[in-house]
Amino acid sequence: MLFDQLLKQTGEWLRGTGPEADIVICCRLRLARNVQGFRFISRMDADERTACEQQIRSVILQQRIVPEDRYVSLHETAPLDRKLLVERHLISKEHEDSKHPRGVAIDRDEQTSIMVNEEDHVRLQVFQSGLQLRAAHKVANALDDLLARGLDFAFSPQLGYLTACPTNVGTGLRASVMLHLPALVLTRHIEKVFQAVSKLNLAVRGLHGEGTEASGHFYQISNQVTLGRSDADILANIEQVIPTIVSYERKAREELLRRDRLRMEDRVWRAYGMLRTARIISSEESLMLLSALRMGHHLGILPDIDLQTINELFLNTQPGHLQKLAAHEMEALERDARRAEYIRRKLDGKS
Amino acid sequence: MKCQNCHKRDATVHLTEIKGGSKHEMHLCESCAASKGLPGKAHFSIQDLLAGIASAQQAGTQKRRTQELQCPVCELTISQFQSTGRFGCADCYKAFQGEILPLIEKIHDSTQHVGKVPGRAAPGVALQKEVRHLQLELKRAVKQEDYEKAAQLRDRIKQVENELRAQGAPTGSEDVGPLA
Repeated sequence: MLFDQLLKQTGEWLRGTGPEADIVICCRLRLARNVQGFRFISRMDADERTACEQQIRSVILQQRIVPEDRYVSLHETAPLDRKLLVERHLISKEHEDSKHPRGVAIDRDEQTSIMVNEEDHVRLQVFQSGLQLRAAHKVANALDDLLARGLDFAFSPQLGYLTACPTNVGTGLRASVMLHLPALVLTRHIEKVFQAVSKLNLAVRGLHGEGTEASGHFYQISNQVTLGRSDADILANIEQVIPTIVSYERKAREELLRRDRLRMEDRVWRAYGMLRTARIISSEESLMLLSALRMGHHLGILPDIDLQTINELFLNTQPGHLQKLAAHEMEALERDARRAEYIRRKLDGKS
Repeated sequence: MKCQNCHKRDATVHLTEIKGGSKHEMHLCESCAASKGLPGKAHFSIQDLLAGIASAQQAGTQKRRTQELQCPVCELTISQFQSTGRFGCADCYKAFQGEILPLIEKIHDSTQHVGKVPGRAAPGVALQKEVRHLQLELKRAVKQEDYEKAAQLRDRIKQVENELRAQGAPTGSEDVGPLA
């Protein structure tokens, strides 16, 4: 079963490898496309939605983008399984919650997911761990070409790819880079980063994208402009700013260690102590503590914990994963107790 | 680069003014630009922009209230678009063209797509683009009085237009609407 397979791995975006992986968690590239001849999702009736989903699904399978068992019809999927996909960034929250016929194709490494009948008919996303925007773009572009062999995409010479929302029109491309910036937050320099980024017409968002808080000191930086610039220009605009932010974060980490080593060690070891001993822990709290652990790992403060364990904890302590691993739904308190237990076991090395 | 006015803060507003044929450049920080009444790079939300269309639209509809703009394909009205910010189909872009192009320009600072063209979807599009590109070059060549090059370009344009005609696509040198 697909969902059991997913639970055994952490997926591409949490692989923890690639250039600058101590700070750059992953890159994500998204292309929005609509199929000519179908109305957009909000104006479709049930029959049209079904027909649209069927057509896109058959092209995905025909072009061998994924095998049949890797295409999930979400309207026939249990709520907990849908939550699992959101927590793994494979589908959006909107795609989880809507009611109509819709689906998602997921490749084996969770590097690619193609949402069908989301806000646009096709939302193709590609993940690469570490700073590898170009590599992600290459994959996305090739998949887009494969889809275009079987689908006529709505396109105008003036406005490019036509999308349901005018903020995506043109290339339909959203490129984002997820960063872990705890030292810039601690040294209160994070505002400067936001200012620099907004001058380049880039947006800063939280862990789960649009409208979410930056929990656990994770930030996503992405382009806002999609029209009048080629894919390459959009990527170049982001690429010029990321190395600067990465070097600021590194400098801030070094400075904190030099000036305040004891306090830094205290912060990391306390987080570790809390995670090792807590009996009830919320997902928000564990995210903050795991964030400190992750920084500690990269600063050499916690030599015994490997990144893979930390990444597994990030993923599996989310509510959907926790319940899926327990194989039943739980109330909040039971969940928080279960989470604490799971973390303790994992850190004791007896998963 | 420092602001030319206060010489303290970084210049983030860059202006190029053409006066009487000569070019003046100004580099200011955001607060000096604001004190001179120049717009800085303000943040916007799509809701604000939509509200902007709504008020412009209201001014218009007072004259012709009876006929609200509507997409002929999906029957979405312009006011429905304003309340959701989402189009109903690809043809809405054409139906609401006059209303939404200023909005699109505000969001993206452009109204012309650059970059990828779907291969199979619109066989004529790449060639149409080539025609437009060649026509620009032709104008430049004529201006520079390089008539030999201009003649070559004219031949090339004819050739591409014939290819387009063979495909049954508009040639691009006809006066097609921006969204055709």
